[in-house]
Amino acid sequence: MRQNKAVIAIFLMPAVLFFCLIFIYPIFRTGLMSFYEVENITSGMNEWKFSGLANYFKLADTSLFRISMWNLFRIWAVGGVAVMLIALFFAGILNSGIKAKKFFRAVIYMPNIISAVALATMWLQYVYNPRFGLFTTFFDAVGLTDFAKTQWTAPGNKFWAMLFAYCFGMVGYHMLIFSSGIEKISPEYYEAASIDGANKLAQFRQITLPLLTGVIKTNLTMWSITSVSFFTWSQLFSNVVSDVDTISPVVYLYNQVFSGGNVVTERNAGVGAAVGILMGICVVVVFLLINLLIRDDELEY
Amino acid sequence: MKKIVSLMLAAVLVLSIGATLAEGKTIVYWSMWESTEPQGQVIQKAVDAYAAETGNKVDVQFKGRTGIREGLQPALDAGTAIDLFDEDIDRVNRLWANYLLNLEDLAKETGYEETAIAGLMGSCREAGGGELKSIPYQPNVFNVFYNQDIFDEAGITEPPKTWDEFLDACEKIKAAGYIPLTSDDAYILCNLGYHLARYLGSEGVSKVVKEGLWAEEPAVLKTAQAFEEMATKGYFSPTIGSSVWPTNQNGEMALGLAGMYLNGSWLPNEVKAMTGPDFRWGCFAYPELEGGKDGAEASNYGAQVFGINKNSEVAKEAFDIIIKITKGEYDKMLSEESVGIPSDTTNTEWPTMLASVKPVMDGLSTRWTWAAGIEDNADMTPIIKQELQKLCAGEITAQQFVDNLEAKSASN
Repeated sequence: MRQNKAVIAIFLMPAVLFFCLIFIYPIFRTGLMSFYEVENITSGMNEWKFSGLANYFKLADTSLFRISMWNLFRIWAVGGVAVMLIALFFAGILNSGIKAKKFFRAVIYMPNIISAVALATMWLQYVYNPRFGLFTTFFDAVGLTDFAKTQWTAPGNKFWAMLFAYCFGMVGYHMLIFSSGIEKISPEYYEAASIDGANKLAQFRQITLPLLTGVIKTNLTMWSITSVSFFTWSQLFSNVVSDVDTISPVVYLYNQVFSGGNVVTERNAGVGAAVGILMGICVVVVFLLINLLIRDDELEY
Repeated sequence: MKKIVSLMLAAVLVLSIGATLAEGKTIVYWSMWESTEPQGQVIQKAVDAYAAETGNKVDVQFKGRTGIREGLQPALDAGTAIDLFDEDIDRVNRLWANYLLNLEDLAKETGYEETAIAGLMGSCREAGGGELKSIPYQPNVFNVFYNQDIFDEAGITEPPKTWDEFLDACEKIKAAGYIPLTSDDAYILCNLGYHLARYLGSEGVSKVVKEGLWAEEPAVLKTAQAFEEMATKGYFSPTIGSSVWPTNQNGEMALGLAGMYLNGSWLPNEVKAMTGPDFRWGCFAYPELEGGKDGAEASNYGAQVFGINKNSEVAKEAFDIIIKITKGEYDKMLSEESVGIPSDTTNTEWPTMLASVKPVMDGLSTRWTWAAGIEDNADMTPIIKQELQKLCAGEITAQQFVDNLEAKSASN
């Protein structure tokens, strides 16, 4: 028996070692780094200068970082509600026995297989273009000429323009997860409900939703994690100089660590690490809240 | 049998080592270009020619701007063998200074400077703390680029030199039915930086953004008032407040709808697929301002530069590659293909599209940093940009612009 344990330990060792090296060590190092002033992300620890909580205080004092956190919150909350509702709505329709289900599913999912760069270019250079863009020509054609003149990427509008474009691409992904959850629900429940006289809406509320709790939890967790690492769309909507409307904490982190703009400005990987730690805390808090608010272990089917 | 096999294997090993040695040295070059860009393509040709002549092997890795900004320093810290790399003059000399080899001796031995642009070599020494640690190529200058056909049609015979002449030119362009001045979000801040730096010099601008002297420095309000007047008179593009690069660069400048754009000498190359070869580019120095500290002799100019790793064992060979790319035949090719300024002074012929840049470049003696220092405070740059977009779009007044920035920089 004792020998067996040794064998188990030996076989587990490589995986454990790699896990520690690739996951535990970077987390530990980032946490430590956030209390230091570090010029370059690969500087040796002997070059780090201890600064206590200065990096965290700097973040709290910097209005640009606070703006980025506010943007992130709006992306997570407003975008989250919109994407979840629309995705659930589409998943419900697709599984209600409509014709050409596979075709519609593929169409809704399609933005996910197109590169974000191509999508953002389409939105910026075509859809939102104030000269010959889709929105401008469409609203002109339907007679809303004043509305057609809206500059969708002007300060104030740009955040919503970006969020709309981002959510457009994310609906398909979450719809697919909802859809797979709905497909797992046995049709017998619906048959029984139909016989009892329940209409589609009642069936959705009384059967589909309660049985989807676990899937909803998965979707919310996935949405939170992707929101926290919101970077690509922000960079694409302000591709050279960062923008108040589009900056996210991770973009702020990137600029601090790599001096991301046109100008070579002061770098501090310690501030970057502090942003990373704050984002990690956000994910953990959201995850705990989701687990606290949504319980899915009561139902078995 | 086993013995024979092992003997044969050993022989193969020895032969292959011998072959590698005979092949010559290997130089690893991390390039800031993409292999598909004209610069990348010409550099590949130059490197191939170098390899064919010397028998040395050159391992070129086209990393692109993002790849090199994120990846070079960690790779060097991890001990990756990289002999040669390039990026813009400030990034190489400031961020990567600790990895750079002093090139004074190599430049002297090869007589490099005899045919190099003296001003840029001086800038490299200045950026390298008095020592030559980088070699410039692909020189560039940042100034007002204009459409000569629109100027002709509007009856503007001479490029404007003063602010009044500039406003006059704007009026004429507008009367001819075109947009006088356009910009995108990527470059709009340069307009503010340049105007303010004409008053204060780029150090003065840098001080304003770093110390938040928006209300304290009267030149800020004067600059904002000039822009407010431009906005009121309709001299800015109607989409200047919302355009995400390259929307207006392509849709207004390249398509011949706008007269002027404050941009770099890389602009004609970037839009050449849209403009075609017959587009007549003009260039003039940002107008001088009354009572200003800096005049037409000051602007942002610079270059991409090569640096050699101080730990490189093939520094001489790496320097030879620099010579191959920046001198004679390949420098000329680079200039032609990328519509760029040649770095070899014996290549006196500039691409036609850049002919008007030469007198502007020749007249420069004061070097401003990027955007004349307006982007020197990374925590403020996006905030300044947003306020400027509103000012140019006519949404706020000059006084509101100053007040907003004063308030926002106080909370930073």
